[in-house]
Amino acid sequence: MVSLSINNIKVEVPESTMILEAARKIGIKIPTLCNVEGQKPQGACRVCLVEVLGAKNLVASCCTPVAENMKVFTNSLRVRQARRTVIDLLLSEHDGDCKVCDRNDDCELQTIAREMRIDNVRYTGEKTAKKIDSSTPALTRDSGKCIKCRRCVSVCNEVQSIGSIFQQKRGFKTIIGPAFDRNLSDVICIQCGQCSAICPVGAIIEKNQVADVWSDLDNPEKFVVVQTAPAIRAALGECFGYPPGTLVTGKMVTALRQLGFDAVFDTNFTADLTIMEEGTELLMRLKKAIVEKNPAVLPQFTSCCPGWIKFAEHYYPDMLPYLSSCKSPQQMFGSIAKTYYAKKINKRPEDITVVSIMPCTAKKFENLRPEMNSSGLRDVNYVLTTRELGRMIKEAGIDFNLLPDGKMDSPLGLSSGSADIFANTGGVMEAAIRTAYEIVTGRELPMKNLHIEPIMGLKGVKTASLKITGAVGEWAFLEGAELKVAVVHGLGNARKIIQAVKNGEIFHFIEVMACPGGCIGGGGQPRFTTDEVRQKRISAIYKEDENKKLRKSHENPEIKQIYEEFLGKPLSERSHHLLHTHYTPRV
Amino acid sequence: MAGKKKIKNVADLYELYESVKKADTRCSDKIFVCIGGGCLASGSLKVKEAFEAALKKHGLEKNVSVVGTGCLGPCSRGPVAMVVKDNVFYQEVKPENAEEIVSKHIIGNQPVKRLAWKKDIDGSTALTLKDIEFFNRQTKVVLSRCGKIDPCSIEAYIGVEGYQALAKVLTKLSPDNVIEEMKKSGLRGRGGAGFPTWMKWSFARKSVNDTKYILCNGDEGDPGAFMDRSVLEGDPHSVIEGMAIGAYAIGAAQGYVYVRAEYPLAVQRLQKAIDDAKEIGLLDKNILGTNFSFDLEIRMGSGAFVCGEETALMASIEGKRGEPRPRPPFPAVKGLWDKPTVLNNVETFANVPMIILKGGEWFAAYGSEGSRGTKVFALAGAIKNAGLVEVPIGTTLGELIYDIGGGIPNGKEFKAAQIGGPSGGCIPKEHLNVGLDYESLDKLGAIMGSGGLIVMDENTCMVDVARYFLEFVQEESCGKCVPCRVGTKRMLEILNRICEGKGQEDDIDTLIELGNQIKSTALCGLGQTAPNPVLSTIRHFRHEYESHIVEKRCEAGVCPRLVRAPCQSACPAHVDVPGFVSLVAEKRYAEALRLHRNRNPFASICGRVCFHICETKCRRTTLDAPVHIRGIKRFMADQEITIQLPEVRENPTNAKRKIAIVGSGPAGLSCAYFLARLGYRPKVFEAEQRPGGMLVQTIPAYRLPREVVAREIRMIEKIGVDIQTGKRLGRDFTLSSLRDEGYEAVLLGVGCPIGVRLDIAGSDAQGVTDAMTFLRAYNLKGSVEVGQKVVVIGGGNAAIDTARTAVRLGAKNVTIVYRRTQADMPAFMEEISEALLEGVGIKELTNPEEIITENGKVKAVKCHAMKLGGFDRTGRRKPVKNGQNIVVDADMVIFACGQTLDSSQLFDHDELQPVSGYRIMADPLTGQTAMPWVFAAGDAATGPSSVIHAVAAGERAAVGIDEYLTGANHAFWRSEQLVDTAFDVNADPAPYPREKLPLLALERRRNNFEEIEQSWVEHEAIRQAKRCLRCDYGKMLDSERNS
Repeated sequence: MVSLSINNIKVEVPESTMILEAARKIGIKIPTLCNVEGQKPQGACRVCLVEVLGAKNLVASCCTPVAENMKVFTNSLRVRQARRTVIDLLLSEHDGDCKVCDRNDDCELQTIAREMRIDNVRYTGEKTAKKIDSSTPALTRDSGKCIKCRRCVSVCNEVQSIGSIFQQKRGFKTIIGPAFDRNLSDVICIQCGQCSAICPVGAIIEKNQVADVWSDLDNPEKFVVVQTAPAIRAALGECFGYPPGTLVTGKMVTALRQLGFDAVFDTNFTADLTIMEEGTELLMRLKKAIVEKNPAVLPQFTSCCPGWIKFAEHYYPDMLPYLSSCKSPQQMFGSIAKTYYAKKINKRPEDITVVSIMPCTAKKFENLRPEMNSSGLRDVNYVLTTRELGRMIKEAGIDFNLLPDGKMDSPLGLSSGSADIFANTGGVMEAAIRTAYEIVTGRELPMKNLHIEPIMGLKGVKTASLKITGAVGEWAFLEGAELKVAVVHGLGNARKIIQAVKNGEIFHFIEVMACPGGCIGGGGQPRFTTDEVRQKRISAIYKEDENKKLRKSHENPEIKQIYEEFLGKPLSERSHHLLHTHYTPRV
Repeated sequence: MAGKKKIKNVADLYELYESVKKADTRCSDKIFVCIGGGCLASGSLKVKEAFEAALKKHGLEKNVSVVGTGCLGPCSRGPVAMVVKDNVFYQEVKPENAEEIVSKHIIGNQPVKRLAWKKDIDGSTALTLKDIEFFNRQTKVVLSRCGKIDPCSIEAYIGVEGYQALAKVLTKLSPDNVIEEMKKSGLRGRGGAGFPTWMKWSFARKSVNDTKYILCNGDEGDPGAFMDRSVLEGDPHSVIEGMAIGAYAIGAAQGYVYVRAEYPLAVQRLQKAIDDAKEIGLLDKNILGTNFSFDLEIRMGSGAFVCGEETALMASIEGKRGEPRPRPPFPAVKGLWDKPTVLNNVETFANVPMIILKGGEWFAAYGSEGSRGTKVFALAGAIKNAGLVEVPIGTTLGELIYDIGGGIPNGKEFKAAQIGGPSGGCIPKEHLNVGLDYESLDKLGAIMGSGGLIVMDENTCMVDVARYFLEFVQEESCGKCVPCRVGTKRMLEILNRICEGKGQEDDIDTLIELGNQIKSTALCGLGQTAPNPVLSTIRHFRHEYESHIVEKRCEAGVCPRLVRAPCQSACPAHVDVPGFVSLVAEKRYAEALRLHRNRNPFASICGRVCFHICETKCRRTTLDAPVHIRGIKRFMADQEITIQLPEVRENPTNAKRKIAIVGSGPAGLSCAYFLARLGYRPKVFEAEQRPGGMLVQTIPAYRLPREVVAREIRMIEKIGVDIQTGKRLGRDFTLSSLRDEGYEAVLLGVGCPIGVRLDIAGSDAQGVTDAMTFLRAYNLKGSVEVGQKVVVIGGGNAAIDTARTAVRLGAKNVTIVYRRTQADMPAFMEEISEALLEGVGIKELTNPEEIITENGKVKAVKCHAMKLGGFDRTGRRKPVKNGQNIVVDADMVIFACGQTLDSSQLFDHDELQPVSGYRIMADPLTGQTAMPWVFAAGDAATGPSSVIHAVAAGERAAVGIDEYLTGANHAFWRSEQLVDTAFDVNADPAPYPREKLPLLALERRRNNFEEIEQSWVEHEAIRQAKRCLRCDYGKMLDSERNS
């Protein structure tokens, strides 16, 4: 432990703690624009400068480790002047108009300027070159607003291991963006939107589709149905001041109805359906491997995450056969809504608009993939992020706090707890095992609360193994088999697990979610997502799961019904047509 | 050489050393030909070949070897060569000279003087190294082998004790011993920051890790710097050996040399050196039979300046974008690939072998306290001997520039030295005496830097220099941290607008404030030092910023948006020089004169006595010689038959207002002139009986005939100025009485009429006077007592005027005694030479100590003989006593050592607080004093200066007074006048040379005050006028458009 004083307050912190963290511990807030938890400190924005007694220059507290007997001052005249200068300079460079900025309510630069009571911009001059890149379906980048803090660079390079955007050119002309100042669509970008979730200003945001949705809602010809992903209910509340991890499922349903959606459904329903299909697919692959001795089909990778899919298509085209052929729950929902459901309510599919509320920006890309039209039309019409929904509710003048709880519509509104946990890392795996185990052994998964502890939590790479005893019927070949699974989140970790597989490590089933923490930490979620926030949202999701009577996908009566009435059985021909897909190497 | 024999142990190394030395003695002589980058560019390879051919022709190729060496130093004199047997140095050698040198010098032992080194002072020949100041004042440690051996031969390096330091280290010293030796040497990093090398090594040594790296920084990016390149090109093995020793000390087995790709020759020679060292066994595994292994690779940088910053350099070697990262962790703990790493620059490593061989104490004997050893500098810019030099640290800037560098070419004046590149600062002439060491430079706001030293002469605009360097760092900033990326951009924008004449009043303060903020907040060294060039130029040249911002003037004539023509910018009165010169060329004399008088009423006077700053800035100088602007002006004024009156704007309101002007010198009259043009009717009070001030009281008539002055004063009277003579302030009226009489504004143009005497014994004796008293007595009363043996003390124009007046009044023997050299005299060069011709004696370097008297009368002046010492604040060498006395006989002594304000006039009768002891404090732009209705201009406000400065000050005061009275600026003459003279842009410049004005023959000057200088005949004047290059052509300045 190292003891030091900050503003004459003594504090003791572990060695190599940075001054910024040490100050936070004793309630001293040092503003910063480039630093984020879990990323290597950059020391780029210089907003967090503090004075250290004896040091010639001010030091950046985000990247200066504490030292014994150090005397730090975070609010001296010198510090305030320096901080003011830095913010002044940033404001002089920033080409954005707060009044009409997407981030007007939660911009970090604006907040700091306001907290510092900056009432005039002392420096004027050339602004950052403005270039708006809306080349991708998911994201809009406005380089004029970029303050070059490089948070997005870190998340894209280090967390996601993609590197679509990075710093280029020099001096004032420095820009953050794709190589050679090209558009995002010209380079590899998996559209995960982590950059947009971490950007302190409005330089990268999700591509806004609220206007399109309004327009269909206003069109009497259209029957607009909405599906909500499981991660939304644990985060939407944050848009309205609720603490992270507050479940707002009921209020969300009511709000959606008030917005004018004709039917409010749950992506959970198709998550259950995914488990049926993907679980069965896994069992079939196991059979192929064990009975037919064809090892070329394992491990099976999950396929719910569109960011991960695009990542695999770019970087690991050789691994595409290992990906489950199941569409993501969002896309399954779209095709079911425009076929099964359309028939049920006697509507022409072309009169139905399917809107998704997703925690994810990559879903905006996914619904536009050319193959996502098995209903004969675009299966999903529009995808809104959690943040967009939040704004839409505000725009409509709905006081979220006062909303009564509502219930999802039937038949696509009922779901199991297994579907809820699709929202977080480890959830898809757990849901699949709950069902698969029971199918194989006829018994319930023998674990406390049906949870598989080793694959829960925020560790980057998690593995577990499960020995199958008492396999029954056609699955008897699995008797005694040890099922090995791995769960990764963050694509940097995906690389690690793929490398392990390539190195010969044996896994049967691997869950990949592109965003840290899974969908609850998605690129479209309310800002700002820290590990603490992720953990709270995850806990809420598990609570939702545990509070349900229905915990397993195969027990969902509406799932049973759809198989009986429409699909036949998992992996049937109709399933294949509507619920499964194929992948394209992108080289 | 194919198949080098491996050096397996120390004995092998010494064996090779002996054999190279023996082979060397077999040669009776050697010729060094520089094949450093500079000389190569001027064709030294051909010279080398020519020498080889000439030797072969004489059958001497076996006895005399031609060695292509690294940089010998004086790059601007390249190609250079040296005959080794007698150290005779040849400059600007051409291939066709080789035969002559071989046959006359090598064979005939007669050096070819014609081709040898020419001294800077007088162009005389200096044959050998010890006679040449450029060499004999240097001390070479780093460069001790550079220029003496073939850089491409490892044997040559071994033959001069190369790699013996490494041998010593590997066999006799522990790593700690090595660090200890480095500590004793006091060597500090030569890259710029000056961090003690031993300390860096010791940190890295203490870092525990199985892998460590040693890096050499050859990313020399400062504009004008080429020290590292020269070392890598001239002695690459010294760097390799230094790195190997460093590697041993810290425990590294791998090193990288980071060299910029723009240095292909350095890369090529270094690569050859590395390959040779590997082949011979001095790199790679088990060096010299020990268990020390060390390998070295070159990494080429693509020229990003920031890659000179250590963490950015490491990122670049790692293959990432060259960008600094925060420290800690320091590289000694986590550097290249997160391993402990030492990074030193080329010069630092090149010092190491010598330190090890000769011992740390030997090295520490050079240099100054806290800054040990020597430093290599690259001299560039406005300096005669541009090139590579090495001097002990602490050598003064003046020695470096004048003694070694040979001073400033083309007779220009030294203005500043830029040291330390974009991180450094500018040192003005006031500090030529500063010792070049880390601490002293830091105090002046500069840094030692890596050794780039750019010398700038008077034609340099310091705002433009600051702008240039800031533009450089702004373009090279990595853009990571806000202060550097945005802050320097904002500073650059401010500088750009200042240079464009759009500067704002608080710009200087903003630059200082923002600059200091950037210094203390930026992430890396680049940003933390980026504002230095701006801050240091503001510190030392603030007035230039102010004149750009307030007056929209660039005195140096550089900033294009402020400078229509450099002559016009240089003129304090802003006379449209190209305008009147081109009108004269078309014989439109009246128009020319009117254009001149638009800004300066005294065309005729200035045509005779102006010291023509305009000509020093004339661009024709770069072709042949400046346009003789004063001569043309003189001719133009002489053509005036009927007096040419300027534009006057009648104004009944103004005419009623009472303005008093005290003093009818050039400042007062010019103020009256411009006020009259605005319709005022100012009244001028003159204490003496004749108006004109110094123009008639002290400037002798042989330079300025009285009727010339009278004519131009009459012109001023004609436009409504009333001059009352015999009215003395303090005697006949006071400021209060003026106020009481209803005067609304008053200008004090009272000048500095009081001569100053030195406070030495006997200065009050009979026969002692001062120049002011002496000249005024003669010029006003028509007679003055003159001795037979007159000694004039001083070196300014007053001294020369006094001496020449005394000669004319019949003194037998007139001697000027001056403590500095004749070259340092402030008097005009032409005046000095005429005085000498007329028989005046000048005793330079002679400082009067005492006036010896007899019976209260002057008998002689006892003086000290002086010699030149260090530089003083004026940028001239300070005279110091050399121990000898000189006695000059005299019966009259006249002090011409300066003049001062007659403050008794002001103090006794008024409470004029702003008057300090010797000048009246006034706003230089408006002339306004602390009493708002009182203005001051001319010598009284600035101290003794020139006529043209007084005219300009008078004009500014007139505008100031008008503005004070009316609240607005009506100076219509300041807007540009269109001149419709013809000019053919495509024509070649007129070929005529500059001609002098004809002078009265010497014998006709005796005992009279007839004007000496005559005018040209018309066709000559027109020819001279046609020499003008018309820099003004097609330019209309915004500043003039607006004002």
